[in-house]
Amino acid sequence: MTYGAARIGSRATPGRLGPLWTFLFRYGPPRWTEYVLRNWAGQRLVIALPYLWLLIFFVVPFLIVLKISFAEFSPLGRPPYEPVFRWLDEGALQIKLLIGSYQYLFNEPLYVSSWGYSLMVAAVSTLMCLCLGYPMAYAIARSTPTYRNVFLMLVILPFWTSFLLRVYAWIGLLKTDGVINNVLLALGIVHEPITMMYTSFAVYIGIVYSYLPFMILPLYSNLEKHDLTLLEAASDLGAGPVRAFMRVTMPLSFPGIVAGSLLVFIPAVGEYVIPSLLGRTDQLMIAKLLSDEFFLNRDWPKASAVAIAMLLLLVVPIMIFQHFQNKELQAARK
Amino acid sequence: MQPAERRSDKNKTKSEPWRDLNAEAYVRIENITKRFGDFTAVNNVSLKIYKGEIFCLLGGSGCGKSTLLRMMAGFEEPTSGAIYLDGQDMAGIPPYQRPVNMMFQSYALFPHMTVEKNIAFGLEQEKGLSRADIATRVTDILEIVKLTGFAVRKPHQLSGGQRQRVALARSLVKRPKLLLLDEPLGALDKKLREATQFELINIQETLGVTFIVVTHDQEEAMTLASRIGVMNRGEIVQIGTPTEIYEFPMTKFVADFIGSVNMFEGRLVEDLPDRARIQSDELGGVVYIDHGISSAPGAVVWAAVRPEKINILRAPPADTRENCVKGVVKEIAYMGDVSIYLVKIETGKTVRVTLPNVERLSDDERIQWDETVWLSWHASSPVVVTQ
Repeated sequence: MTYGAARIGSRATPGRLGPLWTFLFRYGPPRWTEYVLRNWAGQRLVIALPYLWLLIFFVVPFLIVLKISFAEFSPLGRPPYEPVFRWLDEGALQIKLLIGSYQYLFNEPLYVSSWGYSLMVAAVSTLMCLCLGYPMAYAIARSTPTYRNVFLMLVILPFWTSFLLRVYAWIGLLKTDGVINNVLLALGIVHEPITMMYTSFAVYIGIVYSYLPFMILPLYSNLEKHDLTLLEAASDLGAGPVRAFMRVTMPLSFPGIVAGSLLVFIPAVGEYVIPSLLGRTDQLMIAKLLSDEFFLNRDWPKASAVAIAMLLLLVVPIMIFQHFQNKELQAARK
Repeated sequence: MQPAERRSDKNKTKSEPWRDLNAEAYVRIENITKRFGDFTAVNNVSLKIYKGEIFCLLGGSGCGKSTLLRMMAGFEEPTSGAIYLDGQDMAGIPPYQRPVNMMFQSYALFPHMTVEKNIAFGLEQEKGLSRADIATRVTDILEIVKLTGFAVRKPHQLSGGQRQRVALARSLVKRPKLLLLDEPLGALDKKLREATQFELINIQETLGVTFIVVTHDQEEAMTLASRIGVMNRGEIVQIGTPTEIYEFPMTKFVADFIGSVNMFEGRLVEDLPDRARIQSDELGGVVYIDHGISSAPGAVVWAAVRPEKINILRAPPADTRENCVKGVVKEIAYMGDVSIYLVKIETGKTVRVTLPNVERLSDDERIQWDETVWLSWHASSPVVVTQ
């Protein structure tokens, strides 16, 4: 990078950085300073920092969890476990990977049903968020700038209250003698309270309510950029409002739909708080299972295996997400 | 009215329906007004446009020309007045049901569709067209706009000129009765613009569509138009062929807006059927005119003289009937084909003169800075405007 080197060189003029630097600058070695300045400085250093962060706080713990997931369950319920790699006396390297935890994960009916239920809840909630969020994002994007800011504020406003508190508030609304049932009874619409708490319905309400902003915001940022003359062009070419929406607005907002859906789907699969507080007691979601495995059964290998499997399950959607985002970025640059 | 001149050889064969009192107008705009809040964008405009015309709406930005066009397309509803297309009242008909197509200034090509799909879009909205029909029509129009090899490209893979032609093809493929073009050549560079202008005229003549073009570029209007409507502050100030507009502007605004002009304010001192005289303090003398003005004697009028109609002489002219004024050359701009001279006359007014560079002259022969010269023009050159 001659560009970087030139810039560094001009900045590091002797005198400004003290006598030691002047000495080093003028009389050469150690040569590594020059190397660092040429190759690491500036852009690379900026990129390196987050990578370093991820390495220390994500990759290393991930590898530890991965290792534990292949270990044998110890009745004590905590590390140390038998090491995965071990040098034997004969000078051979022993690698011992117990895949029992993973087998258990995909054979045990409780796990399989939890996986299925989690994915289903996440998918349905994502769809509901999309159906609710798209019209809202569309309306915000098409409103006048003054209103637009107010609406956006309102979308973000719930974040100012604790997430946990907001989910607890839903208990007060949904429970048998809660606000909703009382109102319905008072109005005479129903004659006996509806059971809403501890059902899948309550979980959907909780997830859709909590994650709706994550759907609206990326959709809004996409829809707001649309060139409205395209709709005029579609109309001019004979397409009515509905067709124009289906053929122009919808396909152009596809990256926004994908981004919003993944932002809802990914955390919804691993959602722990909402199903624990509002959801069914007879049907667990996978995150709850993980925590039970860890805290109640003290089975670290199985808990780790769940964590790894969940991660892999989510990495695929994230990669799809990134793929679409890159595509959108590239299209925007053109 | 002054006699009209023919545009060019090419159009001599063309009929001029606007001269025929019995001709049926294809687009009839009657007393159209459009207000946005307090602002009147279009003020009581009436227009008749005939079949097969290229009609240019010419004006500066904010003069209401685009609003007028958008009302014809159906994107804006007029506050009052009516638009008739082929005898049919367009009020309340949404854009997607009008037999009108528009080519947008930004082209408005669908970025997610290929050239082919963009062009087919309009046809797909029509009922009773088979896939094969659509395919043939798309291929045909691609041929007309010379984009045959580009069918599967996306708009961002095309150059500006190619995009412009896709936009044109997309609006033409539906075979509209009327094509509206909003600054069609605005985004192209000068060379490409000139080439495309002639291409547009060719396509228009081949397909026989009526064009209404909105532009702020007078050169574009002059080349394209069969007639030009000059707009100012929401009103049409003059309608005429390019020659009429240029040679016989009816107001100071038109004279000034189309090309450049030297304007001399004065009083009408003599007004006979075959000649007139204007006493102008700005000129410091009399402007002779070889035709009558038929205006009130003593009225304040302006004599407008185009820079290319003025001649520069090194000695006073022999003929005393010629208009003549003495001055000093202050600026010379060499443009290649012509040179522009700014000459300060004795009253202090600066007069603009353009002379074609017919011969290569040596420095001695050429007119120099600070040289005293005489400007003269024929009595037929000035146009007298009263407002």
